[in-house]
Amino acid sequence: MQIKDYIEKIKNDEIDVVEYIYKVIEQCKELNNDHFYFNTISQDLALHQAKAIKKLIKGNDKFVKGKKLLGVPISVKDSICVKGIESTAGSRILKGYRPLFNATVVENAISEGAIIIGKTSQDEFGFGSFSVNTGLGFNVPKNPIDRERSCGGSSGGAAGLAKAAKFHHIAIGESTGGSIAEPASFCDVFGLCPTYGRNSRYGLIDFGNSLDKIGPIGKTCYETALLQEVMEGHDANDSTSLNAEKADYRSHLKKSIKGMEIGIIKEAFDEGVEKGVEKCVHGGIKRLEEEGVKTEEISLEFPIKYGLAAYYMIGTSEASTNLAKYCGMRYGASEKLEGSFNEYFTKIRSNNLGEEAKRRIILGTFARMSGFRDAYYIKAMKVRSLMTDEYKKAFKKYDALASPTAPILPPKFSEIEKLTPLQNYMMDVMLVGPNVCGLPHLSVPVGFEKNLPVGMLLIGNHLEEGKLMQLGNVFERK
Amino acid sequence: MKTFTSDVVIGLEIHVELNTKTKLFCGCPTKGSEEPNSRTCPTCLGMPGSKPVLNRKAVEFALKLCLALGCEVSPELIFSRKSYFYPDMAKNYQISQYEIPLGKNGKLRLKGGKEIGITRVHMEEDPASLVHPSGMKESMYVLVDYNRSGNPLAEIVTEPDMESADEARDFMKQLITVLGYLEIFDANGGIIKADANISVKESGYTRVEIKNITGFKEIERALMYEVNRQKDEARHGKAIAKETRSWDSEKGVTFSLRKKETEEDYGYVIDADLTAIEIGSKLLGEIKKSMPELAQDKVKKFVEKHRIKKEDAEILAAEKALAEMFEKVAEEVDPVLAAKWLRRELVRVLNYNKKELHEAEIDEKHMIDLLKLVERKKITDSVASKILEKLIEKPFDVNEYVKKEGLEAVSDVSELERYCKEAIEENPKAIEDYRKGEAKALNFIVGSVMRKTKGKATPKEVNEIILRVINS
Repeated sequence: MQIKDYIEKIKNDEIDVVEYIYKVIEQCKELNNDHFYFNTISQDLALHQAKAIKKLIKGNDKFVKGKKLLGVPISVKDSICVKGIESTAGSRILKGYRPLFNATVVENAISEGAIIIGKTSQDEFGFGSFSVNTGLGFNVPKNPIDRERSCGGSSGGAAGLAKAAKFHHIAIGESTGGSIAEPASFCDVFGLCPTYGRNSRYGLIDFGNSLDKIGPIGKTCYETALLQEVMEGHDANDSTSLNAEKADYRSHLKKSIKGMEIGIIKEAFDEGVEKGVEKCVHGGIKRLEEEGVKTEEISLEFPIKYGLAAYYMIGTSEASTNLAKYCGMRYGASEKLEGSFNEYFTKIRSNNLGEEAKRRIILGTFARMSGFRDAYYIKAMKVRSLMTDEYKKAFKKYDALASPTAPILPPKFSEIEKLTPLQNYMMDVMLVGPNVCGLPHLSVPVGFEKNLPVGMLLIGNHLEEGKLMQLGNVFERK
Repeated sequence: MKTFTSDVVIGLEIHVELNTKTKLFCGCPTKGSEEPNSRTCPTCLGMPGSKPVLNRKAVEFALKLCLALGCEVSPELIFSRKSYFYPDMAKNYQISQYEIPLGKNGKLRLKGGKEIGITRVHMEEDPASLVHPSGMKESMYVLVDYNRSGNPLAEIVTEPDMESADEARDFMKQLITVLGYLEIFDANGGIIKADANISVKESGYTRVEIKNITGFKEIERALMYEVNRQKDEARHGKAIAKETRSWDSEKGVTFSLRKKETEEDYGYVIDADLTAIEIGSKLLGEIKKSMPELAQDKVKKFVEKHRIKKEDAEILAAEKALAEMFEKVAEEVDPVLAAKWLRRELVRVLNYNKKELHEAEIDEKHMIDLLKLVERKKITDSVASKILEKLIEKPFDVNEYVKKEGLEAVSDVSELERYCKEAIEENPKAIEDYRKGEAKALNFIVGSVMRKTKGKATPKEVNEIILRVINS
């Protein structure tokens, strides 16, 4: 059954929403025993919401019929606040934090009838590409296709659940440097990272404020489009929220893509890209061509060459200030008060932050120190605007750009262990460009190699998510 | 680098609390309940997931200040994060401004005409306040009150142009006058703090910083102490250390907080939660239009147009309400008379009643009525003073009151003569003393007449009549 039929049946009271959600929660618990997609399953909240919806349906409420996500189970990445539900961003230091408010995207989903089933697992504060940098005491989510392999990251739990769920479900993920597209690619699902500012960041536990974007991950292109429609819109609570008109992405899905032009990023197929990945992505490009899309190879040397460096300088600089508040004063675990406040803060942070979080705090603090600031932080900001110029130039000619989402197939955990931090960071090489420049991008499943999924990345101009959905629909799951 | 030649070099960094209704980045009220942590929300508590939203009113206030100080205004308002760990910081960074302050290169004129350069004016948020339940040194623990967290501040940084504690005090006075005119600072409840950089010639201008001096009078005290301390130490051959000191207002001394080997590193980054705000010519034009005439312009106008003394003009202009009242009163009565009455009697009576002019109900109409009667000699100065005292308590119609109470001056000479003769007859001893050469004895007679007329006669006139009667 497709999601629109499910929603229809809920509306018409043909499916008992409370019973359905009860079963969903049971399945979530079962999945979590060996796949660890959730940090928290919000059973009480979900059943409460389901009961409220059931009451409205029984009462023939006239508003309930128009709701776009009526009865749809929605999971929320742990870094996005849900009122009253522990929201830790995957970090031990935020254990016990129950936000007083819903993130705007969560609020928007709830007001369209969504049911919040839980908080999905992730790399601590989003610091990673494989969801293995989970906070102290948190489990690592396992790839639904092969438990020995990574879901990708940092929205690993979201993407894993999107693939594994046998029930209707759409995930709310978040991307700072590739954390939606990469796990979507590793888990054989669709992941849209919209234009920076398209979805409100209010209620997002920050990683890099100029980089963070909330976006949908869904099993189908349709579901991804649907959740994006519901989440977006201007929000007075977020100063960086765009005042753009809300789009009707589902209508884009029906439009022809004939005559659209796509630039294939040459540098994204250089050495370092697995042959199998390359093969699948070329297969994807061929399918677009069959639908009448014109393709052409273009060179985008600058973002591929300098994107990673700029991304890590900006991202860690911002992150190191965002994480400063977790010191045991107001936020972060509390331990026995001893020594000066500096000693106490140090103790709390030493004991409760994971290794990668510490690495990025140190890196970011260094990059913004006087004496190094101009060479790193400020230079990275300049590189960012040059990168944006290069993309903008390309979008004068092309409707979208294409590349592999990740250079490799989902790796085994045993392989990841052998990677150096720098090799880890290289995973995002295709993704940091659009992330740093706030460009919308969509990862679509384009096939399997050695029984492992491959994703293709489509990058669009600012606010042109519609075109991406239009192209992505070619790969819609039947 | 400037080359210094003066005895003392002082530069100030002043934090002024802007009196907006709500905080800089959230909707919490800046005033109201004093119950700790009652005026807070996720944003001013720095809760994970919360985001700041800029208060436009605070920007307008800061822009007014920039314009009043003759600053070049930045075309964009950009906020940065100033990072340091401290228990009063909700986020362990303060939202402030760094590379591009809202205003730069301004100046403020001291009373004597000397101009003090303004390096920059920028906006930032106030941290929370730390409460030491039994004093800073004795308390076993510290409490944090976030009511103040996120209040809007303007930071004004001066050039090291002041050469004495006296000049620094005058600078603060001029600044407070400007703030009062702009109505962006609450002189009664608002907080004004300064960090001062001081150096003396004897030490080769080694810079010492005094942190966090609260209140305008304390700033002068602290500076006077510190100048003397440095000169003293230098005289005794001690080296002045480059350091940060604190001011203990109870003991009246500064004490060392930390030696300053290097500048603090705040690791500034742009606060990407706040977009750059364009300060367009339209907004700036509107702000310019809403700017009041400032004190120093008023002084000039009062001297040139109303021909009053500069000293009087300065006192009248120092307070906006007084200056505005003077302008209205001077349209109706002799400006010199108006100046004298406003700056002396009105200020005296207000001070006595511990009231600010804007708190008293008295308005220019009362003053005009009163001073017209004085100008036409319908009432005497002493009667007018008494009426003024009553007006401050509760205003009334001056003309009706004078009529009702029969307070008009005794202008009938024969009536006055009768009072004088009575007084002379009643006090033969005083007359005798006067005739013996004790000129002062006559004052006693004058006083007696004044009592009989209930102050409705002028002492000068009474004096003349008494002399005439005695000598006839």
